[in-house]
Amino acid sequence: MVTYDVRVTIENKPGISDPEGDTILNDLVLKGTHKTVSKIRMAKMLKFTIKEKDKKTAQSKVQEICDELRIYNPMVSKVTIDVFES
Amino acid sequence: MSLEPQELSELKSKIGRDPTPTELQIVAAEWSEHCSYKSSKRHLKMLPMKGPLVITEKGYDSGVLDVGDGYVVTAHIESHNHPSAVEPYGGAATGVGGVIRDILSAGTRPIAIFDGLRFGDIEKDQQARWLFKNAVTGIADYGNCLGIPTIGGEVEFDQCYENYALVDVAAVGFGKKENLIKNHAKKGDVVVLMGGSTGRDGIGGSQFASDSLESEDRSAVQIPDPFIEKLIIEAILEARNANLIHAMKDLGGGGLSCAISETADALEIGIEMDVDKVLTRESDMHPDEIMVSESQERMLIVTSKTKFKKLQDICKKFRIGCSVIGNVKSDNQMHVKKGKKTFANLPTNVVANATLLDLPSKEPSYLKTIQKEKKLKKISDYSKIMMKLLSSPNIASKIWVYGQYDHEVGIRTVVKPGRDASVLRLDNGKFLSVKIDGNPKQCYINPREGAIGCFEEACRNVVCTGAKPIGMLDHLQFGNPKDPEIFWTFLESLRGLTDFAKDFEIPCVGGKVSLYNETPKGPIKPTPLIGVIGLIDKQPQIPQKISDDDCLIILGETKDELGGSEYYEYIHKFIGGNCPIVDFSESKKNMKSVLEIIPKKLLKSVHDCSKGGLAIAISELSLNNQIGCSVDLDKVPGKKLDVDRILFSESHSRYLLAFDKKNLVKIEKILKKNKTSFSIIGKFGGEKIQFVMGKNSIIDLRVDKAQKTWLNSLRDLVLHG
Repeated sequence: MVTYDVRVTIENKPGISDPEGDTILNDLVLKGTHKTVSKIRMAKMLKFTIKEKDKKTAQSKVQEICDELRIYNPMVSKVTIDVFES
Repeated sequence: MSLEPQELSELKSKIGRDPTPTELQIVAAEWSEHCSYKSSKRHLKMLPMKGPLVITEKGYDSGVLDVGDGYVVTAHIESHNHPSAVEPYGGAATGVGGVIRDILSAGTRPIAIFDGLRFGDIEKDQQARWLFKNAVTGIADYGNCLGIPTIGGEVEFDQCYENYALVDVAAVGFGKKENLIKNHAKKGDVVVLMGGSTGRDGIGGSQFASDSLESEDRSAVQIPDPFIEKLIIEAILEARNANLIHAMKDLGGGGLSCAISETADALEIGIEMDVDKVLTRESDMHPDEIMVSESQERMLIVTSKTKFKKLQDICKKFRIGCSVIGNVKSDNQMHVKKGKKTFANLPTNVVANATLLDLPSKEPSYLKTIQKEKKLKKISDYSKIMMKLLSSPNIASKIWVYGQYDHEVGIRTVVKPGRDASVLRLDNGKFLSVKIDGNPKQCYINPREGAIGCFEEACRNVVCTGAKPIGMLDHLQFGNPKDPEIFWTFLESLRGLTDFAKDFEIPCVGGKVSLYNETPKGPIKPTPLIGVIGLIDKQPQIPQKISDDDCLIILGETKDELGGSEYYEYIHKFIGGNCPIVDFSESKKNMKSVLEIIPKKLLKSVHDCSKGGLAIAISELSLNNQIGCSVDLDKVPGKKLDVDRILFSESHSRYLLAFDKKNLVKIEKILKKNKTSFSIIGKFGGEKIQFVMGKNSIIDLRVDKAQKTWLNSLRDLVLHG
């Protein structure tokens, strides 16, 4: 068994609006001098530490947990899962 | 997203040519059940909509009632069932947003939100728990951010909503009569879109609401942004005060397609618009997408060219988008262009008026046997049954729900949620009481009497605060109307509501029909939801603490009506029996008596008997006041009945009056004069809830234990499963 760090990034799907990201962009970043920024998307990340036999199982196990416990709503969110050996 | 073949050929014959793809999208959105009411409109006309206090104006999205001294109250009800079933948080929140904008579009400030929520069996179904928890959070987050109190509603659980959700939101507005928007427009006026930007979210939402869930593509989710909504409210009210708005409409189901065609049709004008002028979130949006996008927090305003400058300044101040997207014409056409190229050019009366259907109806076969009683298991310990009912999700205190809502912001709330109906203070010294009620269990057993029962219950609740019902909102939620049996239940409910409204002279000031509410296991039970608006001229009945030796009177007769009761369905798992029937003359007599006694300040508390019957209603008085009571069931008015029927029958028109002993003579005098059926059935005091029948003890509960169960069981169920 190997210990993996699994990072689950949850954000609104690309076509769906993101009021929080927009607010950070318009009311914070663009109010300063950072005019080169054109877009900010808000996301939340869960970091799992998990012991599994390989990278692929670690990923699928975390995916399974997130789906089963409704950590995100597939209707709204786009989910990216990255696995690192710790 | 499509039209049915005969609708397509009808469209072709009406416009005399093949429609363009954009025209097809626009018409499909507008002719959907959700926007056109094509199945129900023909029948809804039976409801009485006029009354001495009702103000009607073309193009209003909400009902307007004159409350005197130059003030008006507006009210509207909407549902967001399909979106909430797939994304409960956003669906419920955007539902609140939509109804708020309907109130706003009459030119009044929203002052209160109400929500009626229905889900599957949360005791067994994890999905139902998830839907419930997130819908409540969505409503709380949206309403609380807006600074509008959520002051009432109801929550119910029933297996028929498995994997589904009914999220109904009602809102009430208040303003000066002189500030009402008198929708009008003339040639040369400009059409302005203000608020949030238009994106791909919620594309095809209204179509989606008109299909059953199995077949939809589940992409129509909308993201709520209450802070933009708040800015829109303030900007519009400022523009209203500066007299900058000629006509206004909120963008809801069907997006721009519906808003443009309905505004043009109602005002008998034409509108030419350019999709390039619409502020979009993404650069590559197709005209079709722009026309049917259901992005939230947007309003359509018609104003003159000169006034637009001032409107623009206001929008700039509040930092919300505002752009001229079109012009008013005199040709009654809806003309959609992109730059110079025409994408759609249709007569507005064709778009805004789908051909109404006359669907067949047939009495459902299940109704022939459903009222038959079944031999039930004998109950040996009613105290135990009472504890079970007090902890059941439908009866347990809903404090976990309304505790999350800010119900005092705006400082109008005089009676807070958790009682019969909440009460708001108005600026003219009067008070407003509003309640929404539904009862699918009884409507399933008897669609007509069940619907009347919901109406009477909502009336009872506002009457308990001392308010006279002045208007009603109806929200009719049923399954697929193309099933003649379902359509029959719709018609029966509607006829019942019409009869009650006419007899009691309570006009219908607004409503909504939501059809195609189907779950994977079949249609939902008929779920009409009735909102009643009541007005109090002087002082409301503010509940006072009940103390030792206070008396308890019950008004109204208890009958053998356990059909659809919590006792049958929760304890015995039996669906059927006699549905409670409202006796119109008894109902009127009791309402009149209660409304006569309340202003005399003789009462400490008034409560109606509804879910769970007499036993639960009396216990609620005890639990809210942390005081015991002793009740003699032999004294309950009505024919001689078995104990379980007296305790749990959900007969209508019954009120409990709690008062100081010294007022007894005065109260009795009024009740006798009005020939009301009543009886002194017990008194308060001690630390136990005790029901006796002659010398036999029937129920004996400790108040503190019962209270703990009643207050906490819903929360425990949601949080710990």
